[in-house]
Amino acid sequence: MERDTDLKQAVLWLVVFAAFALVPVATASKYHLLLAAHILLWGLFAVAFNMLWGVTGMLSFGQALYFGLGAYSVGLMVKHVGPGWFLPGLGLGLVCSVILSLAVGLLIIRVSGVFFTVLTLAFGQLAWQITFRWYHFTGGDDGVQGIIPPGILGNGLVYYYFILILVALAIWLMHRLSQSPMGVLLRCVRQNPSRVPFLGQSVRFSQLRIYVVSSFFAALAGSLMAGADNSIHTDMLYWTTSGEVILMSVLGGIGQFFGPFIGAGVLIVLQDVMGAKTEYWPLMIGIVMMVMVLLLPRGLVGEFQALRVRLKSLVASR
Amino acid sequence: MLKLRSGVIVLLVLCTLVLAPLAVMAQEKVIKIGAMYPMTGRAGLYGLDSVDAAEMAIAEINGKGGVAGYKLELINTDSKAKPDYSVMVAKRYIEQDKVHFLFGVVSSAVGLAVTEVSKQSKKIFIGTDHASTQLTADKFQPYYFRVSNNTFQSMAAGALYLKELAQTKPWSTIAYVGPDYAYGHDQWNELKFNLDRFGVKYKIVGEYWPKLFAPDYTAFITSIIKDKPDILISGLWGGDSVAFIKQATPYGLFEKVLFCSPDAGGNYEVMSATGAELPLGLVLSARHHNNWPETAANKEYVKKFFTRTGRYPTYAAEGAYAGILAIAQAVEKVGNPTDTEALVKALEGMKIKLPEDPDDFTSYIDPATHQIVQVQAIGVTVANDQFPPAKRMLGNWKVYKAEDLLPPKDFSEKKK
Repeated sequence: MERDTDLKQAVLWLVVFAAFALVPVATASKYHLLLAAHILLWGLFAVAFNMLWGVTGMLSFGQALYFGLGAYSVGLMVKHVGPGWFLPGLGLGLVCSVILSLAVGLLIIRVSGVFFTVLTLAFGQLAWQITFRWYHFTGGDDGVQGIIPPGILGNGLVYYYFILILVALAIWLMHRLSQSPMGVLLRCVRQNPSRVPFLGQSVRFSQLRIYVVSSFFAALAGSLMAGADNSIHTDMLYWTTSGEVILMSVLGGIGQFFGPFIGAGVLIVLQDVMGAKTEYWPLMIGIVMMVMVLLLPRGLVGEFQALRVRLKSLVASR
Repeated sequence: MLKLRSGVIVLLVLCTLVLAPLAVMAQEKVIKIGAMYPMTGRAGLYGLDSVDAAEMAIAEINGKGGVAGYKLELINTDSKAKPDYSVMVAKRYIEQDKVHFLFGVVSSAVGLAVTEVSKQSKKIFIGTDHASTQLTADKFQPYYFRVSNNTFQSMAAGALYLKELAQTKPWSTIAYVGPDYAYGHDQWNELKFNLDRFGVKYKIVGEYWPKLFAPDYTAFITSIIKDKPDILISGLWGGDSVAFIKQATPYGLFEKVLFCSPDAGGNYEVMSATGAELPLGLVLSARHHNNWPETAANKEYVKKFFTRTGRYPTYAAEGAYAGILAIAQAVEKVGNPTDTEALVKALEGMKIKLPEDPDDFTSYIDPATHQIVQVQAIGVTVANDQFPPAKRMLGNWKVYKAEDLLPPKDFSEKKK
């Protein structure tokens, strides 16, 4: 039975992967390609964020810090060293995100609950303020433009597949992680932290580990975003960016591994479709969010799963 | 069976959705202009005025039968002043809506992000209301044109004003208050650069950097009074300018220093928001004035805008108006809106008669930088209630020749 669902899920996600892979075949529009790339990258960011919140129960309001760190290591490398330094910049961003998240993590996982949230927000805003003020190095609020991936990656199509493969790989890794004994331990940290020591495990160490992992993948999403948009700016580090991934996760369902990915896709498409029709799109999104939280608190994927279970039992009882 | 039928229906609906716009397009030859103005938040009024003015210009041109057999059409998406969102909108305009021109934007950060898209996809971007000099200097690219003044031009005019002032009313110390982001820093650097260029001697006694959209300026106001500058230059704009003036008046700041805000301080928005509270004798300017020049064209423009919207225009409106005129004139010359390279050639060096031009001058686009070259008038606040709800307008104008305000060839923005 379990293997059956595993298989089903694998097939489902293969279909999603294939759908994204076929986007360039279905449309020649660079806009659709960019939209798909945004969905993939925000999806990755949201899934990484949800490893912290949905899985481990640590609500971070500062993941934009790592998203921006990834973007700025690529952007600043290209700006100050040369256009060929895109990939080293990406690597540097990932290394820096691990070092920084270890350092920050050690400081902030000492507290939990709302104190943790506030501290993550504080560090996020600190990074934003530094980037905003340090004009001659970061370009301040003007951001950095002209970030073109080098060589063959400069082709939009190739870059899209590059993103697709990296995102798929990253999400697969995180999925493996969440299904592994460590994933179970992380759930235990959320549900019953006092029991964790009885299993011979440390709550703090588990939290630190997942904080680093989540930050690493947030940085990956950010650095790939720099190449997709060809420009970066300080908004990527601002708290609203952290807020956006929270919205995406709530929309898709925080109890589901793939929920935030779906949430990201829906939110981005909504923003774009409504943005083209009306200037009141933030209001529309607000209404959608309100309906979700009040009526469908398990999120899109969560409610869908619940509906399926109910239908199944209905059929079985007949 | 049911599944099949619903499948067919879905297919039909999709087909109509895709084909309907194509059918509409086939009927009429249209020049599509994709605008990205913010319609909400602090910069919302700038976006609102710009869209109204652009639509006014379009209605005028279409009313006369369009240009070269084409009608103009403007689409606007609220950019929320967010660069990443605007990049996506710009790409949607180019790929889906097949616009011929990208248009607008208030924030310089959005402008810089969109100019990158314009460069990559070789689509002309007409900038109407963002001031960062970088766009026509370091970040210049051949498909970008700006039809409103940049901060360098305003600051050059400000420096010339101060130079003349020194001869009639000697001053020696100067201080600056401006929002703590690129726009604020650029203005101050450019003013100092221009004062040096024109050989003005001055001593800086203070620099104050409130945050953008800061609600409270009292701490800055008291330090300014303590530092006693003769001249206080302000780089604040919009609501920030209004809040600063309202808060500084009770401290008597404007009796102690000469307040001078040459880029955005003289925007009609400031006068309409402060009414009779706006002190007399402030030295202000903006990129367009409702009561200068007193030409028939400017009066006509202000009146038409008022009839259309029920309010007087801020300077943002004239930028958008100028942008539409420039597009129309370029298409007229080339004969179609699709030959981008020919349109670039047509825009380079183009002369456009704008509401803000005095009778003896016509604005033109500098072929080397794609920056519009215009005269700038600096005025002093005087009582005037012809443009309600404002009770003060600018008067006692000093007018500066366009050629004197251009940055030298080798100028590039050195950020602090």
